[in-house]
Amino acid sequence: MLKIWGRANSSNVQKALWAAEEVGVRYDRIDLGGPFGGLDKPDYVARNPNKRIPTIDDDGYILWESNAIVRYFGHKYGNDQLWPRDPKVRGLAEQWMDWQQTTLFSDFVVLIVQLLRTPPDKRDQTAIENARQKAEASWAMFDQHLKANAFAAGKAFTLGDVPLGVFAWRRYELPIQRANLPNVDAWYKRLQARPGYKKIVMTPLS
Amino acid sequence: MLELLGRLSSINVRKVLWTCLELGFEPSLTEWGSGSRSLQAPEFLALNPNGLVPVVKDGGFVLWESNAICRYLAHKHRRFDLLPEGPAERAIVEQWMDWQLTEINNAWRYAFMGLVRHSPKHRDASAIADSVTQWNHQMAILDRTLGRTGAFVTGEAFTLADIVVGLSTHRWYATPITRPQLTAVAAYYARLRERPAFARYSDQA
Repeated sequence: MLKIWGRANSSNVQKALWAAEEVGVRYDRIDLGGPFGGLDKPDYVARNPNKRIPTIDDDGYILWESNAIVRYFGHKYGNDQLWPRDPKVRGLAEQWMDWQQTTLFSDFVVLIVQLLRTPPDKRDQTAIENARQKAEASWAMFDQHLKANAFAAGKAFTLGDVPLGVFAWRRYELPIQRANLPNVDAWYKRLQARPGYKKIVMTPLS
Repeated sequence: MLELLGRLSSINVRKVLWTCLELGFEPSLTEWGSGSRSLQAPEFLALNPNGLVPVVKDGGFVLWESNAICRYLAHKHRRFDLLPEGPAERAIVEQWMDWQLTEINNAWRYAFMGLVRHSPKHRDASAIADSVTQWNHQMAILDRTLGRTGAFVTGEAFTLADIVVGLSTHRWYATPITRPQLTAVAAYYARLRERPAFARYSDQA
């Protein structure tokens, strides 16, 4: 059976798990990283020299990098709607996936580390506020896109919504001030109707 | 014709130029992000609200994010040698493209901005040293991988992963830092230099 290594509260692991739920492939998840350690163990490094989570083993086939795993699940196990074959629709899905990595991610790392994993008296309030403002500016950009599109790649949900959807849960659950972004609100509500999102992503943050 | 908006000094714009050349055509390049053509201009932000280059316009279709553009172009032109058709083979190419985006790109940023672009915000010597350490660490991961494949990032054949990783490799050699001896990376760099597109676009032109 498909194996997915990584702790369940990791945003990048949740991308892989949620995508697996969407395409309907069964998997075993093995705890790794954070309090579980194991990233430096030789057998793990042999699979993933980058020493991060998630990593998958699909019948002997090893893959890492969370967004690459999401796309692989779509391509191998998904249908044309979840992972569109049309180059333009897929291009848009991929654009927003990459944007999560290049633009949104670093600000959320600050927010997650500071607000969830740092004691209140040790928190860097300036760093938190800077990250919050930048993250909200990024969400405002996505809000504009959602004015004319129900989802990242257009009318329908695709796996292109997965990386951003994982961080949307964090946006609404972290104790931060949020801008009024009605299109992001409506998209987030649409995601919450998906069983995979509920099961994997809508879980307590830690 | 494919329109490309950007500037040659951007490594991300050069990814797209190189990809086009491998696909056998030249896009029409319009300079943005240098001189008077600010990326904050309303007409540019209307295309890419993220305010970054490259952006491509393919008829009425607009796309940004450099790696997504390269994959879009290979997909559209059905160049399965550059981006394989099978899910497993394709995902390995994408894995290394994402690695360039998430790991190596973040590792070199501070050192490159300080040592090459002379940015006033990147003058902290210990932050430069940390960045170089991270960068060399990532290049060592690449070295071990290339040692196994003996040729290109994902195997014997050149793919899109080599365009994005190849440009990063060139940047590693072109930046004034102390580099460890990485023999597989050195051989890879020599292999890339044989490609006309690399000779043309590896440098800032």
